[in-house]
Amino acid sequence: MATTEALPERSLKQRPRAPHAGPWASRYELLLELVRRDVKSRYRGSVLGVFWTLLNPLIFMLVYSLVFGKFLKVHYPGGSATVFILSGLLAWTFFSQALIMATSSVVANAGLVRKVAFPWMLLSVSSIIAALVNYAVSLLLLIPFMLLSHKGIGLPILAVPALVLVTFGISLGLGLMLAAGNVYLRDLQYLVSLGTLIWFYITPVIYPFSLVQSKFAGHGLEGVAAHVAIYINPMTWVVLGFQDVFVFNRWPQHWHGLGYSAVFALLSIWLGMRVFRRLRRRFAEEV
Amino acid sequence: MSEPAIQIKEVSKRFRIYHQRTTTLKQALVNRERGKYEEFWAVRDVSVEVPEGEALGIIGENGSGKSTLLKCIAGILIQDQGSIAVRGRLASLLEVGAGFHPDFSGRENIYLNGAILGLPRRYIKSVIDEIVGFAELERFIDNPVKTYSSGMYTRLGFSIAVHLDPDILLIDEVLAVGDEAFQRRCMERIHDLRARGGTLVFVSHALESVRAICDRCLWMDHGLPRQLGRVDEVVAAYLAEVNRREEAELESTGSAEVDSAPGRMGVRITSVGFSGPDGATAVATTGDPFTVAVGYEAPQPLDGARFSITFLREDGIPILTVSTDDLETGGGSLPRQGMARLSLPGLPFLEGLYRVNVEISEIATGEPYKRLDRVQPFRVHSPGRHEVGLALLGHSWELPQLSSRGARR
Repeated sequence: MATTEALPERSLKQRPRAPHAGPWASRYELLLELVRRDVKSRYRGSVLGVFWTLLNPLIFMLVYSLVFGKFLKVHYPGGSATVFILSGLLAWTFFSQALIMATSSVVANAGLVRKVAFPWMLLSVSSIIAALVNYAVSLLLLIPFMLLSHKGIGLPILAVPALVLVTFGISLGLGLMLAAGNVYLRDLQYLVSLGTLIWFYITPVIYPFSLVQSKFAGHGLEGVAAHVAIYINPMTWVVLGFQDVFVFNRWPQHWHGLGYSAVFALLSIWLGMRVFRRLRRRFAEEV
Repeated sequence: MSEPAIQIKEVSKRFRIYHQRTTTLKQALVNRERGKYEEFWAVRDVSVEVPEGEALGIIGENGSGKSTLLKCIAGILIQDQGSIAVRGRLASLLEVGAGFHPDFSGRENIYLNGAILGLPRRYIKSVIDEIVGFAELERFIDNPVKTYSSGMYTRLGFSIAVHLDPDILLIDEVLAVGDEAFQRRCMERIHDLRARGGTLVFVSHALESVRAICDRCLWMDHGLPRQLGRVDEVVAAYLAEVNRREEAELESTGSAEVDSAPGRMGVRITSVGFSGPDGATAVATTGDPFTVAVGYEAPQPLDGARFSITFLREDGIPILTVSTDDLETGGGSLPRQGMARLSLPGLPFLEGLYRVNVEISEIATGEPYKRLDRVQPFRVHSPGRHEVGLALLGHSWELPQLSSRGARR
């Protein structure tokens, strides 16, 4: 008898137990690791690394301002086509990248989902946070342009986190729905690429909002449709907010619109989590 | 006894088998094809309670639903009926190195995999040297894991996994990979867990491990719970059933088809058959006469050919090779076709399943004409034998005698 009892004692002393993190603490830890992975893997193995994050919007900004500013002679309020386009384009790139990455986030981790039970939602959340990190880096681009323009940088810059938060919320809500849906219907990821492309044009990124207000109204059915689409687009008001801050150095002007976008974000997060929770029941078999 | 650590009540899990795996939008919208699927119950009506501190084994053939049940307990799959209640911190080990990122270094992957398994970064930091050391990867730990061999990959995954300290541990088959040292280390950790009062659910084909680790055992058969009880009883009952099925198959195949494709110089082995005292059979009894007959065919008479037969244990360990080199006459000249017979007057093998390798080769060069590996299973029964092991060896005992005064009358 004595010998059988000696064994557990020896084993117990061998090593202290691994600490027990609470469910939320371990979720946070895991999210951090996943973000680390998503951000790192984006730059691993590419020579220019982080410069792609800067180069891509920079080149598009130059192309757009050349085509619209110089050739089509669109008048951009605030005088500078470059700052105007860049301020909206960066936010848009964040949004569309977040959506595209979130959509494939569960399917891309199929091996993990099939074998380990953990809050799979974190896979989608981390992919959106990774897009946010890219956005934060790309904001550096704006600084030289803003300093060069005569408006400068002022207090309204404090509104940026709130605007980012709304953008994050919208992409999180939609991203969760798309990520869960994509497990069952793989076409979603192609549809999302196409959808964001169309969505881009009903968001006043490369044209000023004033153009919409003056020109589309009362121009037949398609004019009205386009008008409505732009107004109900929650990204419209966020992008306008970014333009207010970065182009005009003033606080966002369209408070009603922004309020609508914020409510849209909250509702989509609520719905996104519901959809995700419901669909995840068969993730491990369908993925 | 307190409440059970795991309570499984009438759990059933159904899978959908799609006739046509359609996940494209066109088919979903236009044809509504995706709606067509057959349902298949992978697990049906399983109820088990696992008390705290118990080790439960789950055994069964492939596709019997044991892994599905384990995944339901782990929360990876959600049962369609019934309920599963788990009390305590649960960790499941269904795969080692789950979620390793090929481009990341071993070190980075330790943190990532650790976080996925629920280990805090601070804790991993404190034991990372131990993890790396045990995986024997000191020199490679900062290289990307895509450059690792599969052995290195497995070792790294294992080293992380052995640092899990859950109240309840679910293990699926992972013990089967890794070398001897790893398996031993794993066993040690399982004993640690059990000594601490931890609960274990262990799915495996390795019946010996199940018997060594578990207290009770659940036998799953085609999704249904067949038997639940003490591990010895259930494993024995399962083995008996497997043997029965195997025999039913073997009995009909005293001399089954073999690969009769021609080998070098067109030599073919046309049949490999066994017979006992009552004629052709693949089920033999220890001690009975046993004959292996090898049929061959060649385009011309064989000059100087050697026949050899190797008996193998089920797991491939060779027991004995005999060849016609025994014969004083050597191979001599053999007709274009015929049958070579090897007779064992008393079959020495003990209870189990065995196979044979058969080879016909040229004596002069040693080069095989034709070789068949691991063909023709045959089962040996040893009713009434006390010996345990592979084969009989002639033996006798001598025991000390009590002096006549002390002898009991």
